[in-house]
Formats: sequence, C-alpha cells, structure tokens
Amino acid sequence: MNTNMAVCIAVIAKENYPLYIRSVPTQNELKFHYTVHTSLDVVEEKISAVGKALGDQRELYLGLLYPTEDYKMFRKLHNSFTDVMCNPFHNPGDTIQSKAFDGIVSGMMVQTA
Amino acid sequence: MSVPDYMQCAEDHQTVLVVVQPVGIVPEDQFFKIYKRIASVSQVNIRDSQRILIRYRHHYLPENNEWGDFQTHRKVVGLISITTCATSKEWPQTAERFHGQKEVYSSTLYDSRLLVFGLSGEITEQQRTDVAFYPSFEECSDVEKRVEDFVESIYIVLESKRLDRATDKSGDKIPLLCVPFEKKDFVGLDTDSRHYKKRCQGRMRKHVGDLCLQAGMLQDALVHYHMAVELLRGVNDFLWLGAALEGLCSASVIFHYPGGTAGKMMGRKQSISQPLDAGKRHRAGALTTNGISADTSTEIGRAKNCLSPEDIIEKYKEAISYYGKYKNAGVIELEACVKAVRVLAIQKRAREASDFLQNAVYINLGQLSEEEKIQRYSILSELYELIGFHRKSAFFKRVAAMQCVAPTIPEPGWRACYKLLLETLPGYSLSLDPKDFSKGTHRGWAAVQMRLLHELVYASRRMGNPALSVRHLSFLLQTMLDFLSDQEKKEVTQSLENYTSKCPGGMEIITLPDGLKLPPVPFTKLPIVRSVKLLNLPVSLRPHKVKGLLGQNISNASPFIYSPIIMHNRGEERCKKIDFQWVQGDVCEVQLMVYNPMPYELRVENMGLLTSGVEFESLPAALSLPAESGLYPVTLVGVPRTAGNITVNGYHTSVFGVTSDCLLDGLPSVKTSGCLVEVIPALPRLQLQTSLPRSGTLWSFCVGFLSSSVSVQLFNGETQQLTITLENIGSEDIETLELTSKIVSTKEKVFGEFLSWELDEALSHLPLKPGQSVTLTVNIKVKLDFSGQENLLQDLNDDGISVTGLPISSPLRQVLKPRAETKPVGSESSKAEYSHIKTLEAVLNFKYSGGAGKVEGYYRELSLGVHVDVEPSVFFTRVSTLPATSTRHCHLLLDIFNPTEHELTVRAKNNQDLVLHASECQRMAIQVDKFDFESLPQPDQESIRFSNPKQLEEERQHLFHAAVLNHVHPSLRRCGEASVEGVLNQLVLEHLQLAPLQWDVLVNKKPCDCDVIADCKVGDAVSLEVKLTNRSKNSVGPLALNVVPYQDYQNGVQNYDLEDGVTFIGSNTFYIDTVKPNESTVCEGALLFLYTGDFYLSIKFQDDSAGRELPLAWFTLPSVHIRALDTPPQAGA
Repeated sequence: MNTNMAVCIAVIAKENYPLYIRSVPTQNELKFHYTVHTSLDVVEEKISAVGKALGDQRELYLGLLYPTEDYKMFRKLHNSFTDVMCNPFHNPGDTIQSKAFDGIVSGMMVQTA
Repeated sequence: MSVPDYMQCAEDHQTVLVVVQPVGIVPEDQFFKIYKRIASVSQVNIRDSQRILIRYRHHYLPENNEWGDFQTHRKVVGLISITTCATSKEWPQTAERFHGQKEVYSSTLYDSRLLVFGLSGEITEQQRTDVAFYPSFEECSDVEKRVEDFVESIYIVLESKRLDRATDKSGDKIPLLCVPFEKKDFVGLDTDSRHYKKRCQGRMRKHVGDLCLQAGMLQDALVHYHMAVELLRGVNDFLWLGAALEGLCSASVIFHYPGGTAGKMMGRKQSISQPLDAGKRHRAGALTTNGISADTSTEIGRAKNCLSPEDIIEKYKEAISYYGKYKNAGVIELEACVKAVRVLAIQKRAREASDFLQNAVYINLGQLSEEEKIQRYSILSELYELIGFHRKSAFFKRVAAMQCVAPTIPEPGWRACYKLLLETLPGYSLSLDPKDFSKGTHRGWAAVQMRLLHELVYASRRMGNPALSVRHLSFLLQTMLDFLSDQEKKEVTQSLENYTSKCPGGMEIITLPDGLKLPPVPFTKLPIVRSVKLLNLPVSLRPHKVKGLLGQNISNASPFIYSPIIMHNRGEERCKKIDFQWVQGDVCEVQLMVYNPMPYELRVENMGLLTSGVEFESLPAALSLPAESGLYPVTLVGVPRTAGNITVNGYHTSVFGVTSDCLLDGLPSVKTSGCLVEVIPALPRLQLQTSLPRSGTLWSFCVGFLSSSVSVQLFNGETQQLTITLENIGSEDIETLELTSKIVSTKEKVFGEFLSWELDEALSHLPLKPGQSVTLTVNIKVKLDFSGQENLLQDLNDDGISVTGLPISSPLRQVLKPRAETKPVGSESSKAEYSHIKTLEAVLNFKYSGGAGKVEGYYRELSLGVHVDVEPSVFFTRVSTLPATSTRHCHLLLDIFNPTEHELTVRAKNNQDLVLHASECQRMAIQVDKFDFESLPQPDQESIRFSNPKQLEEERQHLFHAAVLNHVHPSLRRCGEASVEGVLNQLVLEHLQLAPLQWDVLVNKKPCDCDVIADCKVGDAVSLEVKLTNRSKNSVGPLALNVVPYQDYQNGVQNYDLEDGVTFIGSNTFYIDTVKPNESTVCEGALLFLYTGDFYLSIKFQDDSAGRELPLAWFTLPSVHIRALDTPPQAGA
C-alpha cells in the first residue's frame, strides 16, 4: 500500500544547498544526498535556460520537473513550506527546523515497519 | 568488439584509420616523437577538390578491426611501423617482424610503411617504396613527406574500392557484408530470396556511403545512406539500419558543424588521445576553409538530403534504439551515444544530452576490467562536464576515483584516485582555499563535500603524503565545523592529531606535482576570535609627551584648524592609529576575546602575535579553553625591540599540531579598534617601595592611574615619616626626576603642608643606573581642623568672662586660672561626631625620564597614592582670650576635649602637662605673645585681607607656633601637634593682635612691663621714658599722656592720694607730637619716691588729646610697678 510513497524528500535553497533533507532508510543517507545533489544539474540547466531569455530577472518557478502531481504530495509539501516561511522567526536561507514540517514530511515517507 | 573508443565523434566517420606501431625495441619517447610528427599529417589534399582525413592510432585491437565492414572508419587501412636497426645483420629479422605485424591487419590493410632508424650502409641503397631508412631519430626531415605519399597511395586504393563497389550492377551477385557475431546466423540461409538480396543491397549501399564519406564525397554519401535506410528498413535489418542512420547523422553533422564536435574536449588525460587531439584540431581548421565548395547546385542537393539539426538527434535516437536490440552491439551503441552527446553539446541541448548519457550508463558491456570501468566513468564525467552538468560529472569522476582503489585491484592506484578526486572539487562547489569559506553562508552541499574531503584525506594518506592529508583534514575541520556532529568533531580532531604527530601542519603552500597549489588553512575557528584590542601600557609605564610641541598632530592631518568635513574612511578604520604609545623594550599586551566552539577542551599552544613595522619579540602563550566556552579573554604579549609604528596583523596558533597564521584581514567578523600603534624609543622604568604597608583601602576617587598606594592611620596632628625607595629596574639611565604632590580630597581643610620632602639628596644620585636605587623621605603631617562643631564655638562668653582688650590686673587672672572645669560631653550623638574618622588622600607624582625616549621628549609618571585615615586626637571646643598683664602677651583659653578612648596628655609651651581622660574636656590657658600689628589687616578691609593671603598665612604661622600644643597619647606612645589655627575666629584674632602703636616704658632705662617690678631707692630720682613707635600706616598724634601714681592695697582699694609720697621732677604730663608711620618719639620725665612702698604708675591719655577714631586697644600702655626701697637691693650692691 505504500508503494507510491517517497523515500527521500529534500528542500533546496536557490543557492544550491539543502534547507531540509530527510530520507527513510537512514542507514544509507549519503546515497540520497548524492542522488539529490546530482539531480540539481537539471534544475540548474532549467534555470540558466530561463535566465537567458529574461536577462537579469531570473524566473525561479520552473513548473513541475517530474509528474509529482501523480503523488499529490507536492501541494502538501509546498503548503507546509509556505507555513515555515511565514514564521516570523525563520530567516530565509536557514535550514528548516520545524516540527510541523517534519510531521508533514514523515507522513509522505515510506513507512519502514 | 568489447573495448569502446570513447573518444569517437561523428566526424570520425570520414577518416581513414592508420595504425602506427613500433617494431622491436624502440625507445618510447623517440617513438612518440615520431608518432607526433606522423600524426601532424592529418589531412592530405589529393586534388584541388579532394582531401582525405586520417585518424592515427598507436594501439588498435584486431578484434575491433573485424567490425571494419560494418563501419569502414573502424577498418585499419594503413600501417606505419617504426623500428630501430643498429646493424645490417639485424635487418632481415626486422623485416620479418614487420611482415608479421602486417599479417595482423592483413585482411583490411590497403598499404603499409616501415620507418627504419639507425641503419646506414648498402641496405639503405635499395629502392623500396614501403621502407624508409633514416640514420637516426634526429635526421628524418622527410617523414611528413613520406607519410603524405603513403596517404595518397591509400587514397588511390580507397577510391578504386569505392568506384568498384559503387559501379556494381545488380547483375553481379552482391556479397553479404556482416559483423562478426552475425556470421553463424546466416549459415544455411537462402541466398536467393528477395529478402536476402535486399539485405545485401542495403548493406552494400551503406558500405558505399561509408567509403564516399571517407573519400570526402559528402553528397554521394548522403544519397547512399538514404538509399540504404530505405532498403534496410524494408527488410527489418535493424543493426545495419542503425548503422545507416548513424552514417546519415555523421554526414549531416559533418555538414552542419565543420568545426567538429570534439572541439571542446580538451584536457583529456588518456595518453592515447592526446596526439590524436592535436591532429584533430589542426584538421578542423582546414575544414572550414575547404569544406564548402563554390558549386551552388551541389549545395542545394546537399541541403535536401542532409538532416536538419533536430533530425540528427531523432535519427541518433532511432539508431541507438536499433543497436539496443543487439546485445553484442553494446560498444556500437555506447559509441553512438557518446557521439550524439557531443553533437547535442554543440547544439547546447543539455537535457536531451543527459538522456543519451543516462542511456549510456545502463549499456551493459559484459565483464569490464577495472581499468575499463575507470575509463568509462571518467568519460561519462567528461561528457557531463561538456553539457554543463557539473554535479553529475563530479559524481562519476568520484566513482571513477573510487574504482581506482577498488578492493579487487591488487595494487590500488591511490595517486590516480587522489588526482581524480581533486578534479571533482568544482562539481561540489568546493575549493581548497579556506578564504572562499570565510565569508557569507556556506556554499554547496556540506554532507557531500565532507564525504569528499574525507576521501581526499584518506587517499592522500595512502599515497604516503601525510602533509597533504594534514592539509585536507585541517581544511575539513575549518570549513565544515558547523556541519560536523560532536562525535565527528572528536574523530576528526583525533585523526588530525595522529597525523600531525608524524607530520606537523604548517602555513606553507603545498604544491602538487601537477601544479595545483593548496593554500594553507589557518584555524580561525579554533578558537574563534571575536575581538582584538591593543592594550595601553600600565599607568605607571605610560609615556607622556613633554608639552610644548603642540599642534604637531593637527598640522599633519589637515591644513585647516577646523573643518566640518570629517574624514570618514571606513576602510582605514582597521588600520587607524591608536592614540596611545608603546615603549620599545617594554612588554605590550593585546587582548583577544576568544571562544572554543568544540564540545571538549581545546588546547591552544604557542599563541602569539603577528606584527609588522618594527622588530617585535612575541612571547607566545599556551591556553586551554573549556568546552564550548563563552567569550574568554586572552592576553598576548610581546616586546617591541625597535621604535616606529607597529601594526598587529593577526595571531598565530598551534592547535592539534597544526600551526596557523590567522590574519585579521581575512576575518571580517573580528572587531578591532585599530591595530596600528606607535612605539617610542626606550624609557627607563622606576620601581617604588615604601616603608609603609601597601594599601588595600578604598579610594574615594578613581585609582586607575595610581601605580601603588600606601595607607596609614594617624591621629590628627601626628607626623609620620614615609621612606620611599626608588629603584631603576629598566635598562636605561634615569636622568631626570621630579616630584610633585597633590591633595585629592579637598573636603577637609588641611593646615600646613601635608606632604613635604627634600629631593636634593635624591637628585644628587642622578643619573641613576639600572639596578641602582635612591631613597627619599617624605613627611606626612596631618593637621586638620581641631575645632569642634561650629555651634560650639559661637558662644564665647557663656561663662561670663568678657573678652576685651582692656588690661585685666593680675589678681583677676589669678582667680580665673584655677577654673579648670571638668565638663563631660552631653549627648552620645555629639560624641559620635567627635570620633568621626576623616580621610586625607594625596598623590605623589614622580616624573622621570632618560635614555632615547627623553631625547624624543617623553617621560614617565609614577604615582604613589597616600591615604591617611585621620583619627581625632583633641578638639578645641571653645576658644577665648584673656589679656595678660603685659600688653605684649595674651592668654588663650582653650577648652580641650579628648575624643579618643585613651588617656591623653596635653603639653603646651611653657605650661605644665594637662592630663585628659577619655572623653574628658578641660580648659587650658596658654600665654601667647601677641603678634605684630603691622601686617595685620584692618578688620574692615576684608578685600585686602584676601588679596594678600600669603602674608596673612605667614603671620598666622607665627602665632600658631606659639600656640602649638603637643598632645601625647601615653598608652599608644604616639604624639602629635595640635594647632589652633582653624579654631581662631576673627574676634579672637583681633585680641591676639599686637597693637600697631607700640608703647615702651622704661624705668631707670630698664624696660618695664606688667609683671616686672622695677626697684628704686627712696630719694633717688627715677627716670621714666615713654617711647611710642608707630607701626601703623597713618600718623598718630599729637597725644598728651598723664602719669598718675597710685598704690594698690590688694583689697580693691586704690589710693591715688600720693601727693606726699611721690614727686614728679618736672611735669607729670607728656606731650607727644605727631608720629609718622614707622617713626618713634621718646618723652622723658623723672620721679622721686619719698617713702618706701609699692607704687603703680598709671599712664593715661588726656581725653582731648587723642583722636578717638583709633581703637582703644591701640592705646594701652603697660602699667608700671615700682618698688621703692630704703636701701639699694642686694643684687645692685
């Protein structure tokens, strides 16, 4: 029943460092780090392509890179992320340390029973 | 075919393959020298329009050669062998070998050449086209020419083959071309079927297309490929269809991108590819000039057959999907992927390129050797780099690096691994310069970076370069500190300590063999420094500039005395000059606020200052900071050895065996109030020791500038000697010494000199050499107000004694004298006021200088604080005067109160001791001389009095010396002097003044005063002189004096009726003319006593004679007491 769940969820700052990363099989976390890190190439490629068109003003909304809508999790994650950003005590650019966000992410992860 | 050539690109399809190989023993460097010269001939123009491109290999698997029919550029068509041959005897053997080598590629070779070096003699004379002789590797100028000839001959064969195949008509039977693994599949197939024939035709078309492409006939090639595609699609011959499509792509790429697709592939490391690369670039340049012919009709035809850039990718995709159907065509598929990626890179379609690469990653080539794996990962990394996917590139490079040291490899290549790891750094946004991490937020992905750094550390250690691993580990610790867990911090530091025990880390730049420089890693976070503050010298050592050189600084700054424009330069704030000075040769301090971010104790050794400007001897400190300490002050010290301006640039530390030089410029978070300070030339140093104990008492003012202080408790009026020993503890002579004092707390009125000294003795010892000392005695004399409270002094007349200037006869005084009463102090509160301890504080200031600093105009100050707690000794609760019998004297009546808890003896001049018990009050009368009138001011001339305080002071001194009381505390063995100075009020003072008119009465030429009885003989004339000396400022007189004799019966009855007893000789009235200031007049008269007895003479003024504007007290004459005797006195006899 959990086959469609995520194994790793990461939120990346626009300066290319992780704001939040969590993976379910914790014993091989580094593997996921590598995976997420290398996948950023595509994002960067997209951004640079957009940037060329608009000159200096970078349009940072890239749309969906992958059919995340199939899993209905992106919306949930994004809402939670918005909540974190609305926290007046949160500095944009700091790593995310929010219990609520943690909870949402945990709900999307594969349950390793 | 199992070994892919990752270097291939689309335009390689138009080249012919020539293998260059050594035969026998050829020195490697010489071989490659020749190889490079051969490879430089990469393009040969045959006729004006025809050209042929050559691809050289010095190593080629014969196995791959077998795929030559499939794609002709894989076919080895030429062989150049290089050999050495010392003697002609060896020649046959060499020739044999050459033939053997030819055999290997015999099936495909068009032509071959042998280059023989080192042979000379008759053999070289023989004319053979396939062999060239050169005497040595140096003398072979026509190698290129020979190669060109060789290529031309290849071209001829190629052209003939092309024509041969192209003109094949359907009448002949077309052979079936096939790849090695297909051969067995076609055994027993019906060769006459239409399907089979079509297959043969299609494959042949494709083959002809290849040949056309190699022969430089792009248009023909395109046509043939198109036909081949049509034919092969019809028969579902997928492998060859793929090849035909790829051929079509290659031809189109050659057309669209005459610059080539491999252009960006620089810096490849495989030694095989390097010479090739050089050749390619050369060729590429040639292509642009020759590639497009002027014939427009062919141009149009080409455009029709040629694929558009988008179609190229589509066709590549299709071709690859067909290749993918065949397991044995893995290498072909992989190479096609690589070629496609290169094309996409040129087209800047990175994401599609990454799809191809993604596909390439999953192509299974069966069992690969470790080396092949490394090569594969490396090339993947390079291709990712090519399309701008730096992270993926770094990932594969790292995998390749790890592959170098895989456990299955018997001899792990740690060097190669390390080298590859270094190349991954940019992909992880990691540089090895800690400066890049010192500012702003952390860049990049810390978890991954940390992993990489760990691997670098490990690899460099296994390489046997501990210095390198220390450097990397230091870098890891410095830059990743925020991301390390406590456990990791512990591990990292432990291993760092292990490494540094063998190879201590330093600040030198490590240069790697390939030229990469590893900058030093200063541990600016171990410990973290928050602020740097240069400290002034201790107060006693601070240099002071002699005044008089004023304005020196102002004139430097600006030509204006005042300018509203403030020179604000934030950048210079750090190096602005601090407004104090350090002194050469004296220890200077810099205070750092540091803290330890580590979860355990941090030991920092050899922490010292980095300075520039003057020679500076840093005295390093070692410190141990507790775990996660708060801000912790650390003082670093050093001694400037020369004078000038010194700049504190930073500090150095040694932590975990790594020495770091931390420069403040690189630490923007460090707060500093300036780092530039002036060092002035050396000054001497003086140390001070006192005979009194050092004080720990509280000072009523800021003690910051005191170098030391003494404290003493004294009774009011007591004197104490303070011996000060001054020792020169510096290295310079003390040439000047000055001493000044200043009373600090002015709340109390101090009488007399509080501190007094004789400096001359000490000065005679100057200059004081280092180590020498002088002593100096300072008297501490406390004389505070001895009066009680003000209100106690107000009422002078409460006991009925009138204080007047009128003479009071001795009997009255006799009555008064014993009236010493005991009067206990009334209330407790008043007692408390009496016992109040007062404080006196003063500062003794020693100014001294010497040495070079003195020349520059500097001196030092040493201050000694003197703190005296003054306990009350005696109080004069009431003061009044009584006139004495003589006009020159006066009685001072003092009510003396003993506020102490001890018995007290009061001793006044000419008086007996008065013993006072604790808290007892007694009256004491002291006879004092009246003092001179002249300088005493008029009571109504207050302004004069104050304008002339010094004079007044002198006068008072005079009086007080007369009135000084010694008080002794017998039980404490202490004594002191009490002065009435502060007690006397104006009224009392007036009574103590000597009248400005001085009257002297002489009887028988002897001065006569109240208590003196003049003796005379009855019947003898007694001369009487009255002398008036005018000491006032005005003239006095004229005056008339009336002398009246009388007898006093001592019972209150005075008998003036002495007509019979006393006779005046002459007048009994003296007239005195006007006496000018400072003059005197004498009146003389005589008396004759007729009876014996005691007589008194009262000299009075006649009422009308004196101008009564002057005070009465001025006109008091001493009363004269004469005793007339019968017989002359014994003494006179």
